[in-house]
Amino acid sequence: MKHVLSFTLNGAPVDALVQATDTLLDVLREKIGLTGTKRGCDTGNCGACTVLIDNEPVNACLTIALTVTGKTVTTVEGLVEGSELHPLQKAFHEHGASQCGFCTSGMLMAAKALLDKHPQPSRSAIVEFMSGNLCRCGTYLEVIEAIQAVAGGK
Amino acid sequence: MKDVGYFAPSEIGETLKLLADYGAQATVLAGGTDLVPKINCYELKPENLLYIGRLGLDYIKEKDGKLVLGAATSTAQIAANELVQKKATALAQAAYRSGGAATKTIATVGGNVANASPGADLACALLAMDAEIALASVRGTRSVAIKDFFTGRGETVRRPDELLLEIHIPIPKGKTVFWKLGRRKAKTLSVANTSVHLLMDGKKCVEARIALGAMAPTLLRCTQAEALIKGQTLDITAAEECAARAVADSAPIDDQRASAWYRKKAGQALVVCALAQAADINN
Ligand SMILES: Cc1cc2nc3c(=O)[nH]c(=O)nc-3n(C[C@H](O)[C@H](O)[C@H](O)COP(=O)(O)OP(=O)(O)OC[C@H]3O[C@@H](n4cnc5c(N)ncnc54)[C@H](O)[C@@H]3O)c2cc1C
Repeated sequence: MKHVLSFTLNGAPVDALVQATDTLLDVLREKIGLTGTKRGCDTGNCGACTVLIDNEPVNACLTIALTVTGKTVTTVEGLVEGSELHPLQKAFHEHGASQCGFCTSGMLMAAKALLDKHPQPSRSAIVEFMSGNLCRCGTYLEVIEAIQAVAGGK
Repeated sequence: MKDVGYFAPSEIGETLKLLADYGAQATVLAGGTDLVPKINCYELKPENLLYIGRLGLDYIKEKDGKLVLGAATSTAQIAANELVQKKATALAQAAYRSGGAATKTIATVGGNVANASPGADLACALLAMDAEIALASVRGTRSVAIKDFFTGRGETVRRPDELLLEIHIPIPKGKTVFWKLGRRKAKTLSVANTSVHLLMDGKKCVEARIALGAMAPTLLRCTQAEALIKGQTLDITAAEECAARAVADSAPIDDQRASAWYRKKAGQALVVCALAQAADINN
């Protein structure tokens, strides 16, 4: 049996027909066609699929899609405002905070969750909060610098 | 493939009725952080998912000398809660050190206990605090001491029609601490973990409870090690002897995180650290 899933995605209401075991990641990428959210490990370890549910960071690969019924989901596609990049996107770009780019959307969403709650986090708070997002190219220092730049209003 | 059913009831009565009807054919889904990786890797093929995130089971309150946690309270909530930080410190520490930001948001304390991993961090702290597990079914509610809850790796005394409803923690007298060692600093499963609960009278240990994790098929309560220090002066030598006793009966495994040999060494060192912290031993 398929189930109807209704939720708010990047500000707009959406419906999708899903299986009970489909994850939010499956639905975003394969049913809705938003492929900005990446599938890395599918076990919650790498953070590439980080999205916001009701403004809290979660791994979309660990989230059974039907559990977001009625909730608000924000993905990397929801960061831009019109043609303006989000300040975090600009800072990542300026600081070279990505190399292959696979982890970047997850990194951006985690960073947004952090700054929305703590606009001026210490360096160690940034390091700790971002510990769930792995980057195999090793851009950690640039990621931290980019987040610090946004927090410092630069 | 047979389609999987999905239920997301908003009332406990309805949930218990579904559990009574489906029993082992219903898989309780809380945060899904233990369950969903297994589904994604085809290790687990549930027949029906019973989501409990709409039951309002996310609360932390103090009642009759106990802290009461709803089973679906998230590890993020527990780590940030002042009541838990103050009165059940080891649990707040365990929650703080389990998973990363994005897993903490959804991972629940009930899931950590019900999953019965021998290295579960929150359950380790709860074991040192003699927590009680409230299980509900259409037949009524029963309370099980956490030391009797785990029967094997991934196995518990929970019957298929029972919902883990609440966790009750007798507010610890004295100090509780939690220590873990992982492969990296943050967001890491325990190679070994321990939680210690001590009531001291000056340098004398009046009460001691020691829990050890990732060292056997279930979490361990080290009653013989506890007996060694109870009623005795607790200095660093006594703490070292106690820690050696604590790991003596453990039976860790070799796996991708560590060897059994290393786990014993790590477990022993963690118990010394935890005892020293809980008893304020300075040398
Ligand atoms: C990336 C990652 C990192 C992790 N790091 C840690 C860590 O550092 N320390 C640690 O201890 N754990 C860790 N975990 C494991 C996991 O996050 C925790 O055990 C978590 O608390 C499980 O809770 P959940 O709500 O997600 O459980 P679920 O996956 O929803 O459920 C787990 C099991 O318990 C059952 N269940 C859940 N709730 C109930 C209930 N109320 N009644 C009856 N049965 C129930 C389910 O049927 C299932 O069998 C990690 C997991 C991931 C993916």
